[in-house]
Amino acid sequence: MKNQPIYHYQEEIDKLRGRFQFDFVSMALVQPAEDRFVLTWQYASGNINERYKRIVLHSGKGIAGMVFKTGKPMLIQNVNADIESRDLFNYPIIVAEQLKSLGAIPLWEDSRVKGVLLVGYRNENRLDQAAFERFQEGLGAEFGAFHAREVTQS
Amino acid sequence: MIQMTDEHLSDLLKKMYANSMEAIFFIDEKGSVVAMNPAAENILDIDVIERMHSGVDDSFCQTCKGYTDEKDQISCAKCYLDYPKGDFSSFQVYLKTRNEGVVPYAASYHTIDEERGIRVLMLLDLTKQQKTQEMLQRSNLLKYVIKAQEDERKRISRELHDSVAQELLSSLVDLRVVKYMDVGEDVLQKLQQTEVSLTRLLDDIRHMSVELRPASLDDLGLEAAFRSHFKWIEKNYGLLVDFSAELSAARYSSEIETVVYRICQEAVLNALKYAGTDEVHVRLCEEMGSLQLTVKDTGAGFNMNVNEAKGTGLGLYGMRERAELVDGQFKLHSAPGEGTQVELRIPLTQDNKREADTR
Repeated sequence: MKNQPIYHYQEEIDKLRGRFQFDFVSMALVQPAEDRFVLTWQYASGNINERYKRIVLHSGKGIAGMVFKTGKPMLIQNVNADIESRDLFNYPIIVAEQLKSLGAIPLWEDSRVKGVLLVGYRNENRLDQAAFERFQEGLGAEFGAFHAREVTQS
Repeated sequence: MIQMTDEHLSDLLKKMYANSMEAIFFIDEKGSVVAMNPAAENILDIDVIERMHSGVDDSFCQTCKGYTDEKDQISCAKCYLDYPKGDFSSFQVYLKTRNEGVVPYAASYHTIDEERGIRVLMLLDLTKQQKTQEMLQRSNLLKYVIKAQEDERKRISRELHDSVAQELLSSLVDLRVVKYMDVGEDVLQKLQQTEVSLTRLLDDIRHMSVELRPASLDDLGLEAAFRSHFKWIEKNYGLLVDFSAELSAARYSSEIETVVYRICQEAVLNALKYAGTDEVHVRLCEEMGSLQLTVKDTGAGFNMNVNEAKGTGLGLYGMRERAELVDGQFKLHSAPGEGTQVELRIPLTQDNKREADTR
């Protein structure tokens, strides 16, 4: 990780949003030891308010928390159909940004999940399995300093 | 008392028979109904009365479903009709009624004419009393459940905080010590990753402990417990809680503090779930000898007259019950588009108020 180029993630996710016509893109990263390694949203593009900045993610909770814990991409094609409205408050980013169709992928570093990249639309069913796969292929194997797919360490 | 003539007395008895709200049946040795008063006819199914009057079947059994004995709610063992000598001065009997199905009645049954073996069965409707009793029982049970739940939460919370989290913390310290020992680069990296996971795990356990029941509620009081809870809410859900407390660190009995904490927690959670807003106002103060809590949002609100719960519908009921535990008054106001306001007012006596310095 020496001689690593500096990445401008805000620009990167703005570009992603333009390229795939997403309504919203955000990136969560594990924070350094001073902040007790919590996972928080660091960058957002297309956000309608600043609520995302207040949220601290918990492993295994919410969509990003699930992706972080399992290391597997996750797709919610239609929020209204897939999440019971009674449970919706457990997905604060979906509520805050009024997302209706979204997906999230883990960002790897040294075979550990170090962050989560979330993309979504404010209309139902805009992101289906095929579109989500197209996005993952289009993104490629790397995003900034991270691997977009799990690489086993030799 | 004025001496009454026999005629006068029998006249009164006749009137009582005709106008009493108690149902009166005269039953002979074989269990057949000899006569019944209008109140009794009102109870019974029309078919049954028809059969009794026409003499097709005049046994009382076709309307009686049984009575309550020591073993069963509804039983036919040792039927009162067959054991006139048994003590049936007061018991509960279930009858099949005209429109309301099987209904419980308070009954008394005794012989009034030895020679001809005529007995009288008198009935009084018990449904209302039983409903009252049921409500009372339910509310008592709920209070018991609330208390049991609170105790159990406290126990698990302490356990997590005092033993699990402590153990984990000391392992974490050990791990940090190892980092400064002479180890290779790859081991160091692995150790760092483990430290990250363990730190996060420790935080999760602490959260869990606080979520179950915050130790600060017992140790530091309402204000401190609320401040950390609202911070947690903000971090977890991005909901801003505007909290103003005017208690000057006063302490109350643990029962009151628990009730206030739980009701506020529930009210804020409701606002988070249903109000569709990202700001809630909470005010805690002491006014005119009572402790007051106000939770207000300017969100969606709901129609209070429409009994359609978005959630389980138990939340509001539970808040009310909790308030009753400490003789508190619970008020809720909401209208579509106007937000929701929850108010709790608990009267304070010298007993349940304790100053911070007495601790």
